[in-house]
Amino acid sequence: MVMNRPTIFIYTNQPDRAVLKEICAGIEEEGIFFEIFERSVREVNELAWQAAQDSMLGSGLGICGMDAAFSMRGLTRKRCVEICLNPGREQCRRLGSNSARAIKRQPLAMD
Amino acid sequence: MSYIAGVDIGNSTTEVCIARVAFDGTLEFLVSASCPTTGIKGTVANVHGITSALKQAMGSLGLGTERLSLIRLNEAAPVIGDTAMETLTETIITDSSMIGHNPSTPAGAGQAVGQVLFMEHLDRAERGTPYILAASRNHSYEAVAEAVNRAVDEGGSIEGMILQADEAVLVENRLHKKIPIIDEVARMDKLPEGVLAAIEVALPGETVRMLSNPYGIATLLKLTPEETQVITPIAKSLVGKRSAVVLKTPGGNVREQVLPAGEITVCGDRDVTINLDEGAEKIMAALSEAGAVRDILGQPATNVGNMFARIRRGMGEVSGEPGAVSAWGTGAAASAQGTHAAVSARGTGAAASVQGTHAAASARGTGTAASAQISAQEPHIRITDILAVDTLAPVVISGALAGETCLEKAVGIAAMVRTEKLPMEEIASRLKAELGVQVAVAGVEAVMASLGALTTPGVAMPLAILDMGGGSTDAAVLYPDGRTELTHQAGAGELVTMLIGIELGLRDHGVAEQIKKYPLAKVESLFHMRMENGQMSFVEESIDPRFFGRVVMLTERGMVRLEEDIPMEKIVQVRREAKRKVFVTNALRALRQVAPEHDLKRISNVVLVGGSAEDFEIPDMLMEEFANYRIVCGRGNIRGSEGPRNAVATGLVLSYIGERQW
Repeated sequence: MVMNRPTIFIYTNQPDRAVLKEICAGIEEEGIFFEIFERSVREVNELAWQAAQDSMLGSGLGICGMDAAFSMRGLTRKRCVEICLNPGREQCRRLGSNSARAIKRQPLAMD
Repeated sequence: MSYIAGVDIGNSTTEVCIARVAFDGTLEFLVSASCPTTGIKGTVANVHGITSALKQAMGSLGLGTERLSLIRLNEAAPVIGDTAMETLTETIITDSSMIGHNPSTPAGAGQAVGQVLFMEHLDRAERGTPYILAASRNHSYEAVAEAVNRAVDEGGSIEGMILQADEAVLVENRLHKKIPIIDEVARMDKLPEGVLAAIEVALPGETVRMLSNPYGIATLLKLTPEETQVITPIAKSLVGKRSAVVLKTPGGNVREQVLPAGEITVCGDRDVTINLDEGAEKIMAALSEAGAVRDILGQPATNVGNMFARIRRGMGEVSGEPGAVSAWGTGAAASAQGTHAAVSARGTGAAASVQGTHAAASARGTGTAASAQISAQEPHIRITDILAVDTLAPVVISGALAGETCLEKAVGIAAMVRTEKLPMEEIASRLKAELGVQVAVAGVEAVMASLGALTTPGVAMPLAILDMGGGSTDAAVLYPDGRTELTHQAGAGELVTMLIGIELGLRDHGVAEQIKKYPLAKVESLFHMRMENGQMSFVEESIDPRFFGRVVMLTERGMVRLEEDIPMEKIVQVRREAKRKVFVTNALRALRQVAPEHDLKRISNVVLVGGSAEDFEIPDMLMEEFANYRIVCGRGNIRGSEGPRNAVATGLVLSYIGERQW
């Protein structure tokens, strides 16, 4: 029997290391597991959408270079919850945290 | 054929209705409209709201206001409601002594005790001494975890941690030895180094046990019985928290201060004095004991004294009766004037202020000097009724580190101020000048409301009405022979809004007002929400993610997000309790007042009218309560179409037909 782990998926395309690290920290602080996969798609919202579709928890992040996006299963391809272009440390943390809070049914932190 | 308008100026809303009167006296109601009342009810500032409502109503008929032949204004009862709240207790910490809050992600679980040690001074840690390490946000979670691991490996004793950043889980995941960690402590700068601290993180789903218990704190910090006594307010304020820190500051002091709330003297058939901190139930009992109330006084130089003075001053400005206001001052002792004044006062305290002649007041029980401020010529502005309600207000604890609040005992009061007369004639002449239409002041408000209520299908005389507005709850009984019994009681929708705002700690009055008016739901996914009654509602289009996980108010214009992080169940409980305390109490009080021989069972049916009768739960609460007295009670449906609104405006138009001889 194949069992999927209940994790948030992070689909990346040559991600900036600092952006990836802070997003992961945001998820970890909320106590949720995550998995990272490299993909060939270069559109950040498409990465996030696919990640959300594939994640057992229905929450996914896309990181392409310096840009990042967060999506949830049920949203359309073009409508991510949040997209950050060249985000700072706090924004990255918040993006990761929000992807986890969505699973915990907690309000998302907004600007 | 002519058009006439009925205008009802309420405390919160101005309502109008337009009717067409044929030459033979046949009446046809055409349209209704309403606008928020501009200014305080019964003042010339109301003209603006009246004009807007009339323009809105006539506009919907495609006509201008100049087509009106007559505007009939209600003879607004010269009573104005006001509300105020006073906290009776206050917790003060005169040194940094506690942190108690609910960070979203503390780490570890259990308790720890040790000396507070800053991260910068970790190298000074002594072997064998237990420490609580405090790290500001300048230190990364990796650096903190690494330093602690190293210190522990070298034999140091780090028992717990306090972090400024939201990184407790990140640090804990990297520690070799698991310890309780509290994060998101904003005011790290106020943390005193070297003092003994007890720290506790609750197990998931639980709240702190040791630090919310005075004996638990005493156990952890080894306190004496005297010190345990002092620490009790801290334990009380940590109840329900998921994590907490208590610091033993040698010079610190925590106390629960009882504020001088003051006494209320009800001057009626008997004068009765009661201290505000006796609570709402006893205050209301004192009010009943006093019989027919002439005036209600607050003890000068106390919270309640100042509160009443403020209400009178406000009313004085409205009615232009400054003489009456100056007699009351602002609570400061005034010099005795006139003769035959008699004040009996026990104890010490504020000096009694006496003015005029034949004044008499007696102070009962313990307390400070009573005030007797009744003149032989009764003051023009009198407080003729109050509704006191017990409440708990979350007040920020002076001296706490993370903006902690403590639920303090408070009392909310709605007061009814009566003046000789409101300047209705002046409003009428201003309105006439502005619109060029004849304006008449006609009819007593409650009688007009009863007349309007009679247009509800299925009602018959004798008819009891309960007019629940924003400022007051009025009741009237209309008999077939034209007799009317009526009363005005302090306290209605505004007091409910105030109680909701206080108990939920809301800063915005508008949010409290919306909570009062609309049912709630929690958005649990992008495609569904759970209503406050447990029902689930699914949507086809995904909900805006900004609403995700939030409690929302379901308004007629869609969902409104509640910014405060308060559980939906708590909001519902506070809202329902506030409505019950105000409207159920007042409905019974008011109806008892107008019932034959003050016996509620002699009233058979009650029609609910006014803005608050439109509420989605108040009528049900009243129906439930009245069932105990076998009273049939229901929301009015004025003219079979307007619901409970527009009763007075409709009554004004109907009374015009009655007055005219066709």
